[in-house]
Amino acid sequence: MTPITENDVRRFLLDHFSATIAATGVNPTELVDDFDLLEAGVVDSLGVIEMISAVEQHFKITVDFEPMDPAELTMLGKFSCFVAKNAVSSRLSP
Amino acid sequence: MAVEKQLLSTRMEENQKKSLSHGFLKSVEAFGNRPALEVDGEVLTYTGLFEKAASLAATLIQDPLAGGPPLIAVFAYRSVTAFAGILGALLRGHGYVPLNCKFPPERTRAMLQRSGCRAVVVDSASERQLDQVLEGIDSGILVVLPERHAADDLAARWPEHRFIGASALASPEQWGPVEVSLDSIADLLFTSGSTGVPKGIMVTHRNVRHYVDFITEQYSITPEDRFSQTFDMTFDLSVADMFVAWERGACVCCPSEKMLINLGRFINDARLTIWFSVPSTAVFMKRLGALKAGAYPGLRVSMFCGEALPVEVAKAWADAAPNSIVDNLYGPTELTIACTQYRWDAARSPSESAYGIVPIGEPFPGMVPLVVDESLNEVRPGEDGELLMTGPQLSLGYWLDPARTEAAFVKPFGRNEVYYRTGDRVRRPVDRGPLLFLGRKDNQIKILGHRVELGEVEAVVREEFGVDGVVALGWPRTVGGAGGVEVFLQAEGPTRPNLKQRVAERLPSYMTPRRYHYLPRFPLNANGKYDREALIKHLETLL
Repeated sequence: MTPITENDVRRFLLDHFSATIAATGVNPTELVDDFDLLEAGVVDSLGVIEMISAVEQHFKITVDFEPMDPAELTMLGKFSCFVAKNAVSSRLSP
Repeated sequence: MAVEKQLLSTRMEENQKKSLSHGFLKSVEAFGNRPALEVDGEVLTYTGLFEKAASLAATLIQDPLAGGPPLIAVFAYRSVTAFAGILGALLRGHGYVPLNCKFPPERTRAMLQRSGCRAVVVDSASERQLDQVLEGIDSGILVVLPERHAADDLAARWPEHRFIGASALASPEQWGPVEVSLDSIADLLFTSGSTGVPKGIMVTHRNVRHYVDFITEQYSITPEDRFSQTFDMTFDLSVADMFVAWERGACVCCPSEKMLINLGRFINDARLTIWFSVPSTAVFMKRLGALKAGAYPGLRVSMFCGEALPVEVAKAWADAAPNSIVDNLYGPTELTIACTQYRWDAARSPSESAYGIVPIGEPFPGMVPLVVDESLNEVRPGEDGELLMTGPQLSLGYWLDPARTEAAFVKPFGRNEVYYRTGDRVRRPVDRGPLLFLGRKDNQIKILGHRVELGEVEAVVREEFGVDGVVALGWPRTVGGAGGVEVFLQAEGPTRPNLKQRVAERLPSYMTPRRYHYLPRFPLNANGKYDREALIKHLETLL
């Protein structure tokens, strides 16, 4: 399988949250790396888990978030980068 | 005459003893210098918190607004003002209506309007939305802003309303006790309504008293205890943390929003002894690797409520908090916070659980369950049915909505008491076994512990999209409820731009649809209704 990139994750998140991002009034093309999805009100604290599940389902991966600093979990760039680096395919090998 | 007077004073005494603020006031006298509240690192003693609350109460009393109901809104989020505002409303002798800056301002305005509140206490974080919330509120209201010095700019912008900043607040000494009826509203909490309008549930002092008295005794709460406050004030479980802690001089520890994603650290940093959250929070912590065995030795009581508790989560929590009781509580807001309790036991509980869900246990003393069939006749032990419940925690029903109140608060044939129809399916215990929660009768689901009427999401989408055929589904399905909402539209595609954004502006984030799916024709079931199960299967194929 082709490894997923930071950009893939970021694109997926922007698409997944397009409605809520639009509601915050931020232009999705202008989002910077340290855009905090929590502070901007795109996800609530507990919505983070839904975000993780959505990413894992979409890319058919699992990610162990234990080593990650929870403070960085909701930052667009940090999250995308961590997922890209730590993704393990959840598909069964042929 | 003398006898009447005596009766009256006995009743006053009883009322003062039992009104919700009484426990707090008692603790102010006994534990004035002990911490009552810790918000994001800031500590307030009982005296300190009392002074803030009494100052607000005295300000609210001095400024009586004609005609409004005895309710005061508190528009504040995880701040000292949120807690002082709630206490201030109660010390004024009114009930409080919590508002939430994490909800769309449009929804907050609808709640404020519906409640009829003529006064609102606002903190600085929520003030950013104040202009949007006030837009379209016709009758003048009093806005109290204790976190800013003056409010001349707001007063100039909104001449029809009255604003009071910190400099114009009354002093705490100006406050004096107010007589409160035990059957008056202590808090009015809004919850999702299936027709698209949030409904307000009227919870009385007597209702909350019963819960607080039972729980403080049950867990032998002391001034040494430190409580978590994971819930937003708009979630009725928050009432428990505050008033159980303050009843016995304990401290409420409220994490900032950012800390909510790092609760493992918070438990140890804040030296919590009492934990209360929705099971989703524990699932979340487990997912992030924060439920390691022995991680939280300081906890002595852990309570979960608000949605089904998965067996795996109870087990993991019990391992992470080895010195703690783990209790599963159950109860809709209409029955005040929680009204049944089940204690997790590593040896016994796995076999008492069904479908991977921990039982909801037995009713609190005084609360009476009745498991019934469609005609409201009691089912036999071991059979499934809808849970009805009555007792001292039965709320007054829905604010300004006698029709809905009458439909949900019923007197089953041959019974003398009014019972609340929970809409929850349970199994009637055989002998003395625990009640088992099986699911919902209708289209209400739980997302992260929040009640969501799928009908409300459908109503909003229908209005904004101008499409009649709309089905909202909880998806992905989880043991406790659903991860989010997905919507199907019977249409070729969107007719106008920005429709999703309009929906997002009207619903709290947990209710906002994650995806929209267009189908030219919906599958129908045998009754000619939209086949929700077939649509779920459709979602499964998209994986």
